[in-house]
Amino acid sequence: MRFITMDVTKCVVCRNCEYACSFRQAGDFDRDHSNIRVEYYDDVKICLPQTCMHCDNAWCLEICPAAAIIRNETTGAIEIISERCVGCEMCILACPFGNIHFDKINLVSRKCNLCEGEPNCVSFCISGALQYIEAENSYKNNRIIFQRFIDKLSQNNNK
Amino acid sequence: MAKKEIIEHYTSLCRMCDNRCGINVYVENGRIIDITGLREHKWNHGRICVKGRLGVDQVNAPDRILKPLKRVGSRWEEIDLEQAYDEIAVKIKKLQATWGKRAMSIWKGEALGFLTQEELARRFTHAIGSPNYFSNDSQCYVGRWIGYALVTGNWATQDFINTRCAVIWGSNPPYSQPNLTQAILGAKEKGAKIIVIDIRLSAIARQADEFVQILPGTDGALALGIARQLIEDDNISHKFISGYTHGFEEYAEYVAAFTPDRVEKETGIPADTVVHIAREIGNRRPKISIYAGNGLEHHENGINNIRAIACLDGLLGNLDELGGNFIAEKPDLRSLTLYREKPLRHLQPIGADRFPVLYDFRKECHTMTGMDTILTGKPYPLKGMILSGGNPALTNPNSRKVVKALKALELFVVRELFMTETAKLADYVLPAASYLEHSELHFHPIHQIIGISRQIVTFENCDYDYIFYKKLAARMGVEKYFPWKDSEELTRWMLQDTGITIDDLLAHPEGLEYKPRRYQKYKDNDLLSTPSGKFEFVSDYLKNYGYSYLPEYIPPTYITRPNPEYPYVLSTGARKVFYTHGRNRNFKCCKTAIPNPDIEIHPIDAKNLGVSTGDIVTVTSTVGSVDIPVKVVHSSHILPGVTQITHGWKESNVNLVTHDDRNDPIDGFPLLKSVEIKIKPKVDTSDI
Amino acid sequence: MRIIIIGNSAAGLGGLEAFRETDRDSSVTVITRESKQPYSRVLLPYYLRKKVPYENLFIRDKTYYSRLNAKCVTGEVLQLQPEQQTILLEDGSKLSYDRLLIATGSSPVTPPIPGLSGNDIFHLWSLQDAADLMVHFQKGKDVVILGSGFVSLQGAWAALSRGLNVSIIELMDRIMPSALDESTAGILTDQIRKSGINLRLGTVTEQVEQTDNGKLLLHFRDGNSLITDFIIVGTGVQPNISFIRGCGINIDAGIVVDRQMRSNLPGIYAAGDVAQVPSALGGDPVIHALWPTAVETGRIAGSCMAGEKVSYQGSLNMNVTRMFNTTVASMGKFIAAENRECWTDKSLPEDQSLKIMLEEDVPVGAVCIGSSDLVSTLGMLRPLIRGKVSLRGKPEMLKAILAKNIAQYHRAFGKEY
Ligand SMILES: Cc1cc2nc3c(=O)[nH]c(=O)nc-3n(C[C@H](O)[C@H](O)[C@H](O)COP(=O)(O)OP(=O)(O)OC[C@H]3O[C@@H](n4cnc5c(N)ncnc54)[C@H](O)[C@@H]3O)c2cc1C
Ligand code: SF4
Ligand code: SF4
Repeated sequence: MRFITMDVTKCVVCRNCEYACSFRQAGDFDRDHSNIRVEYYDDVKICLPQTCMHCDNAWCLEICPAAAIIRNETTGAIEIISERCVGCEMCILACPFGNIHFDKINLVSRKCNLCEGEPNCVSFCISGALQYIEAENSYKNNRIIFQRFIDKLSQNNNK
Repeated sequence: MAKKEIIEHYTSLCRMCDNRCGINVYVENGRIIDITGLREHKWNHGRICVKGRLGVDQVNAPDRILKPLKRVGSRWEEIDLEQAYDEIAVKIKKLQATWGKRAMSIWKGEALGFLTQEELARRFTHAIGSPNYFSNDSQCYVGRWIGYALVTGNWATQDFINTRCAVIWGSNPPYSQPNLTQAILGAKEKGAKIIVIDIRLSAIARQADEFVQILPGTDGALALGIARQLIEDDNISHKFISGYTHGFEEYAEYVAAFTPDRVEKETGIPADTVVHIAREIGNRRPKISIYAGNGLEHHENGINNIRAIACLDGLLGNLDELGGNFIAEKPDLRSLTLYREKPLRHLQPIGADRFPVLYDFRKECHTMTGMDTILTGKPYPLKGMILSGGNPALTNPNSRKVVKALKALELFVVRELFMTETAKLADYVLPAASYLEHSELHFHPIHQIIGISRQIVTFENCDYDYIFYKKLAARMGVEKYFPWKDSEELTRWMLQDTGITIDDLLAHPEGLEYKPRRYQKYKDNDLLSTPSGKFEFVSDYLKNYGYSYLPEYIPPTYITRPNPEYPYVLSTGARKVFYTHGRNRNFKCCKTAIPNPDIEIHPIDAKNLGVSTGDIVTVTSTVGSVDIPVKVVHSSHILPGVTQITHGWKESNVNLVTHDDRNDPIDGFPLLKSVEIKIKPKVDTSDI
Repeated sequence: MRIIIIGNSAAGLGGLEAFRETDRDSSVTVITRESKQPYSRVLLPYYLRKKVPYENLFIRDKTYYSRLNAKCVTGEVLQLQPEQQTILLEDGSKLSYDRLLIATGSSPVTPPIPGLSGNDIFHLWSLQDAADLMVHFQKGKDVVILGSGFVSLQGAWAALSRGLNVSIIELMDRIMPSALDESTAGILTDQIRKSGINLRLGTVTEQVEQTDNGKLLLHFRDGNSLITDFIIVGTGVQPNISFIRGCGINIDAGIVVDRQMRSNLPGIYAAGDVAQVPSALGGDPVIHALWPTAVETGRIAGSCMAGEKVSYQGSLNMNVTRMFNTTVASMGKFIAAENRECWTDKSLPEDQSLKIMLEEDVPVGAVCIGSSDLVSTLGMLRPLIRGKVSLRGKPEMLKAILAKNIAQYHRAFGKEY
């Protein structure tokens, strides 16, 4: 499957991706409607685009008590079926990347679904920070990789 | 979006800004429903910005002007299009008979088209016997073009893709040239250094390896300081200097005074940073691409500052190099202008005597002088104007004067998509065709490719430029200058000497290479297009006019003669992501995201003024004042004492405080980016 | 191998699915005393609120068992006989197992208040409860909810949304002691009262009386009383372990298990609300009667039963829910204590709050009320709590620190790890 990579050394926080996503979801440029969120953190000088990594054994999918989260067999995307979602926000708490958001109008959770395999945000990313690429096994986000990262963080930070 | 069978697909080029990205346009039942990036286009590789997508909103906008309007007293009356043309032609003829041919003028804005549109406007002006062609270019773009052309004979394009060092000076490509960002950051990925020199921590600055924050208008000092350092370190291209330049000795002598300490004093940049970036740049010779942005124009010493930056190319030997500043060749298009057939300089084009360089280089009349001419009748009466797709009431300096002048015209015709602040002043407002409603040629110099944008939809009454001029010319008795049936015939004629056909262009939506790229062409027979044929560190041409021979640095007035009454310095014109100058403000989604203008100020200044984000302040210069909400930005974003307001908002029009009469002496560009102002919190009287 | 799983809720399903990821062949029997088609308790309040239709309560489709090559039997398990490796069902039949997963969950308790029984007294725990309550959820009716835990408040929110007159009676002088700290509970209390609910704290119910006109009259210790149409009792739960008492299995508050979800008896595993599991924060084993913990522990049990070598990192309690037009969430140790530093977000408006607890720079818990963006922040913090990653910096740097971590992850992605 393919998924979206986010290059923090390229993103300029222009928010074209956010606006494009919001426009596709709701016909408006309103961050609240966007499934990708981008922020510039002045104090640490970090540009961070954030959208779903479509993880293996996705945390959100596993714990959704409404069985509202599924993996789309065609695109590989982890998707929320909004008709099934009750808006309990458990998935928001479960995602370690902060990539699920709450739809304040329909009172359900929302997230990236890879736009049926043609992610809009990527084609509006004018810096090239977002790429839609084939995920090799080693590349795919999964819990083992993430755990290694956390272990390393804890080693580094707790010195 | 899943494309249904009934949906038609076209490839074209976007004209929501000057980038002209390759696009797919989707049409359903005669209506444009979507625009996406064209994957194969060499410029944007399938990516577009949201501004590009707004082309759909623009073409279908509910508030578009679709009926010709005529002012009757204080009201608008709908009028038949042909009738409007008849009336306008009669009025122009009468006006020219009474006041002279040159009393009529044409103003080309940016909103409707590109190259052909400009040439047609110039052609029509001369066809009716007037030398007075105006455009937004007398305060945008051309300053840099002239600054560079004075030194290198040309304004080179930046070969960022192949560069080892990209210097982005006074520009914020993510907002103003979105897909250039791909090229810059692509180079970064391959190891190039990105150096951003700006007064603000702009979007591109966030990804810079070096962000150099400079005081407005002091760029010349930095450029000269970098030059001094390069020379001192002997980090220069002797081969280029000895073989292809003019005036190096005098130049070297002049820059010697710009020691790091002096530069620090002038620009606010720490001395060691000056040394450091000079080395970062110099060590990557010759693959250095330096882009001079709009931030360098709009100063009292703009041209010389730009010349100083251009001179770096002479030291670095990056001119016309792979990965350097590349001098692109043009396609051999036939020109539509009549300057050769029908030169009219003797008729005193407006501003040509005040700013001869502007006219010599670009055949541009000076819009700001134009306003004075209308109001004073000096040196001769200027009574009529046809303006297409521009909004000077918001975007020209000293708006109050602009409005007064445009109102004073005997005949003012505006061709527009929307009822802009400028259109509101017109006698006739004619519906115009957007870029999706006519076909035109475009080229991307960096790739030396040419392409064609398409007429995809049409609306009744919305004549595109060529048809407009042709129809009017017929009524004016100058139809011989507009013999082509339509834009297709016209384009075919323009292409005649290129060996390229319209079909070729249609078959190559990715852009057709019109000439392969060649480097260091100055080494062959093609000399640089300067008077000496060489790279000119010094300019005899300027000297003859009495201007500075060297790229002399003169500090801005707010530094040399600070006025305690106006303690802050205001820079205007930084772009927002989806607003192009005065445009797009009428689209709902843009309003949602960026609903109002603001003045960016440093937290320290906010504290001193006792204001916080959202508070309204009155900003006043010697020209006028404007009320505007405050935006307190992060302390790294802007220097204390420096402020910024984006132009193009009718709600708070910053050009009410900018200067039309403090100009760069060489090209006449107005002072827009280091305006002395005072800021007063607006006391809320509603509760009292 | 013969596998038996008792329970087809969060833990049971997690167990079955994880087991089948490794072992496609062994025979698996799932036993439940409720609906064969699995449903989710968590959704019951949403069903009552009419946010979701009845059919959406079911979280696996009809072909589920056959797809997973499992058999499902309904009936109550009465007894476990570890020596014979059998269980006894209510119809008298016996089933043998090689490995057994006890995922029987928990049941609500009814406090010993005189008169607190009869037709108009309900719990909000099972599908049947919800179906019964649905009949009474009529606009204008009066309902009293005893207790102010998560489930009770969700029930109250549902009743309010449906136009009932709602009273909540809480014994203690604050709400939600197990899920919120005091000040956050205070903000929620305001929110509840503002919404029009009659919330009585520190109120002891002494007796419930049937009135002549078919209503219920509650008598409180403070001398006050309250009339209502019906009562929902939400005063706590207990693990469903009656059928295994005395069979030699190690029980403390629930069935005590190790990191592989093994009980002290060979071949017997437990998971979910019934199990007392290692905590992510160390210390004594805990019962976190929560959906995510049930899924996680169920999956660990299933994998281990299939022979995988996995180990549970420990349960990190997470509570989150959206009610009364706000979101509350908590995790880990969220109560201020002497050895804990507390970071608060001072930029939030009065009706919102975010607190992060740290012990020696290491985050150990957090609690928030307000927008769901705060929940995202908690989400990003979770792995750092689990991984005991210290947060160096100042409270106002929290978001920047979290961003920096994620940026670092992206930067190294596909390269370093
Ligand atoms: C109204 C409500 C709202 C909730 N909201 C939340 C929430 O927002 N967040 C959260 O984290 N948690 C919530 N919970 C708690 C959550 O539902 C439980 O933690 C979770 O269901 C536990 O799952 P489990 O599989 O361990 O047990 P249970 O869901 O209790 O299931 C037990 C299973 O065992 C079967 N069983 C039990 N005894 C026997 C027997 N003797 N014989 C045969 N079968 C038997 C039952 O039929 C059932 O299938 C809520 C609970 C309720 C009731
Ligand atoms: S908010 Fe919706 S998708 Fe997320 S866990 Fe709850 S029910 Fe599932
Ligand atoms: S479009 Fe690309 S560069 Fe712009 S904010 Fe999004 S990810 Fe960053």
